[in-house]
Amino acid sequence: MIVFDHIGRYSLLMKKVFSRPEKSKIYLNQIVKEIDKLGISSIGIVVVISVFMGAVITIQTGYNIESPFIPRYLIGLTTRDSMILEFSSTIVSLILAGKVGSNIASEIGTMRVTEQIDALEIMGINSASFLILPKIIASLLINPFLVIISIFIGIIGGWIGGTVLTSVISVMDYVRGLQYYFIPYYITYTLIKTEVFAFIITSVSSYCGYYTTGGALEVGRSSTKAVVYSSVLILLFNLLLTQLLLS
Amino acid sequence: MIELQQVSKSFGEYQVLKGISAVFERGKTNLIIGQSGSGKTVLLKSIIGLHEIDGGSIIYDGKVFSRMNFKEKKEIRKEIGMVFQGGALFDSSTVEENVIYPLDMFTRMTLAEKIDRANFCLKRVNIENANKLYPSELSGGMKKRVAIARAISIEPQYLFFDEPNSGLDPKNAILIDKLIKEITEEFNTTTIINTHDMNSVMEIGDKVIFIFEGRKWWEGDRNSILQSENPELNSFIYATSLMQKIRSFVNN
Repeated sequence: MIVFDHIGRYSLLMKKVFSRPEKSKIYLNQIVKEIDKLGISSIGIVVVISVFMGAVITIQTGYNIESPFIPRYLIGLTTRDSMILEFSSTIVSLILAGKVGSNIASEIGTMRVTEQIDALEIMGINSASFLILPKIIASLLINPFLVIISIFIGIIGGWIGGTVLTSVISVMDYVRGLQYYFIPYYITYTLIKTEVFAFIITSVSSYCGYYTTGGALEVGRSSTKAVVYSSVLILLFNLLLTQLLLS
Repeated sequence: MIELQQVSKSFGEYQVLKGISAVFERGKTNLIIGQSGSGKTVLLKSIIGLHEIDGGSIIYDGKVFSRMNFKEKKEIRKEIGMVFQGGALFDSSTVEENVIYPLDMFTRMTLAEKIDRANFCLKRVNIENANKLYPSELSGGMKKRVAIARAISIEPQYLFFDEPNSGLDPKNAILIDKLIKEITEEFNTTTIINTHDMNSVMEIGDKVIFIFEGRKWWEGDRNSILQSENPELNSFIYATSLMQKIRSFVNN
């Protein structure tokens, strides 16, 4: 029953969020601020994670493909497709659920318990739309760029890990693998996943923050809930979307 | 003028407000007093529409606010300024941006006009050279004054204060009380203040209603409150040893 209660309240909140904005200029300013806060400030962590992910995928694949019947350039292909299909979209989104999700939930939760949301309502502002819609739009706009950056950096990480650090593969084989049998649809697939995950992270975290009641302790709980719920939903939708888009 | 007619409000099984009726006049400081948990904050939030009431009517100068739709309520809200207990300033915005917020929402002023208006309001509450500070850099008293500046920025007809003196030292509390009184008379607003501070009652209580267990228990002003023989009100007024000493001094 609690699940249905959450779904109902989440749906009502989203209805409020997507009602027509009254002062679109203010929303535009908010979107720009949120792009900076949620996206640009996450580039650092995305780059660090992607370098290591790419390097580890290359090294692990290299050590596990010792057969003379399997060409070495497949290591490059594996790194490229792993980054595009799964690691850049799903793992980066999970990391963002932790970083951005907890940030959103604690920000909106604190605004709720310190009556800042009430103050917005008094000013005749649709607080749900004013606070949440810019975050959703900003994430939908910026997250695909983060994922594209992650793919490129992951591939560079694979090159560093496989050739410079361990020599499990030559540069020529690695580059040949990157170019071999590239399927452009994989990019479309990963971007669709990214958009869905971006919506999940921002909307679910905002929902957890918006309905916070109590004080600092409850804000902390909302923040934790935001990360857990977003992560579980990302994994669930990852499975569903993979089945839908790749089958 | 704001009129309450038999206002009631419940949360689940628990009835917080039980048929409260009162009239709050323009140009006067109207105080709602009562113990913590008596329902005065729920009453204030019901008056401004943050809580939907279950029964009765709330009337703003002849217009029944409690039966209005969202759009009609928004028109009334253009006339409302509210100062919350903790100030409720937006943490991520500067003092100036906080004061400009209502102007952004309700007016078509240019940026220069909005900044001028913000400066005027901040000066009116005795805050200068703090425009670019963030709320975290302000003292409790300054936060309250910025919140008042934000509330008066749109020249409201109705002003609401929830515990304006909570967390302030006595000197700052008196300053805030005086400021509220001055603003009420200067802008001729209908001002309603939620408080349990007896100093405020004696300083600015043009009209006082006492809420006890969700009911209006007593009504009067600062001159008549000390002569009241209502036992519940007296136990509230004379709860502190200072007030008990004043009573024995007056009686002697």
